[in-house]
Amino acid sequence: MKTHKGGTTMKTLRLLLITGLLLAAPIASVAAQEANASPPATATIRVDGLSCPFCAYGLEKHLKKVAGVEGVDIDMKSGKAIVHLKADTRVNNAELKAAVKKAGFTARGITRP
Amino acid sequence: MIRRTSIGGKSACMRGLFVVGLVAGAIWLATSAQAGPITFNSALPVSAGMGIFRSQVKLIRKSGDATPAGRVLNVTAAPVVLAYGATSKLALFGVLPYVDKRLDITMGGARIQREAQGVGDAVFFGRYTVYQRDRPGDTLRIAPFAGLKTPTGSHSRRDAFGLVPRILQPGSGSWDPLLGVAITRQTLGWEFDAAAKYRFNTGASGFTFGDEARADASFQYRVFPRTLGSGVPAFVYVVLESNLIWNGKNRSLGATDPNSGGLTWNLAPGLQYVTSRLILETAIQIPVVQNLNGTALESDWAWTAGFRWNFFP
Repeated sequence: MKTHKGGTTMKTLRLLLITGLLLAAPIASVAAQEANASPPATATIRVDGLSCPFCAYGLEKHLKKVAGVEGVDIDMKSGKAIVHLKADTRVNNAELKAAVKKAGFTARGITRP
Repeated sequence: MIRRTSIGGKSACMRGLFVVGLVAGAIWLATSAQAGPITFNSALPVSAGMGIFRSQVKLIRKSGDATPAGRVLNVTAAPVVLAYGATSKLALFGVLPYVDKRLDITMGGARIQREAQGVGDAVFFGRYTVYQRDRPGDTLRIAPFAGLKTPTGSHSRRDAFGLVPRILQPGSGSWDPLLGVAITRQTLGWEFDAAAKYRFNTGASGFTFGDEARADASFQYRVFPRTLGSGVPAFVYVVLESNLIWNGKNRSLGATDPNSGGLTWNLAPGLQYVTSRLILETAIQIPVVQNLNGTALESDWAWTAGFRWNFFP
């Protein structure tokens, strides 16, 4: 009887443990996803030679033409173009530099957070 | 040959508010399309694939005729400019003017007016950036250009008195090559441009306008915003430009006209409002020195107002 009772208890404990793990897994997964979530991807380009508002339009249009680019913010004072990238897309630096060159300017460096 | 020199703006200062002086046939050639000078070409970039549409209204007045004819010439020109960035370094330009020319003159004791209107001569040229040094908020560029003035304007207009004088015709009838170079240094606070250009005028129907050479300079200073904020703010520039223009003597049926051509130096104060899509601008060209041949008409003033708009076709 003791053995039988102990076996039942163990079975119950195992069941509870498995149930607990099964329940905890999705929660842990969501928590892990939340922990890994990052702000929308951006690339900041230092653009040299940009010194006139009228010229900035060409730069903005060329950067927006790059596949995977969602939006562009240009800051003339700092000489930087902040490129907002679409989720789940990869845009390499060479493409961004080529777009800056087409616009008639010089891309000195690209930083990503 | 009589040579006349007026220094200090003899007629310009007297006539006050407006002003300018320039050879009518050359004014629309001076137009470029990017931000930069108002009365001549800059070396600033036109992005690859981008178009710029520009138009101006120019009012030009010439007088100072000491002969009994008392000629007074009024020209209204409206050039339309289309620029296209073939590559980031090569920009192509097309200029087509509409002109209205009126000459008041005393003939046979009566004051009459002769006039001609119509599409003028189209000009096409290309400009290539051969040197570019970019720094943060600062660029220096050198760009030679070359092109051709084409005889799209009529040079055989007639009025009630017969064939109107060649100076009044909307076009010259000739194919005239031109070449030059533009240099631009632009920072976030100011811009300096310089350009030199020469046009080799050929003849048509027995008449040849004298060649033209010019040296131009422009300084633009940002007065608004005083302190740069974030983003791409609109700029307001005050502008001062200088145009030194030499015109050779005209030739008619092989004979040189002693009453044509000469040297003019203009100063042109102006104002520019510049956004990322649009430029509004105005300038007044005031003759400071005019060293003209014979009875060639003096420039009194020339006023320019226009806009530029950029687009991607």
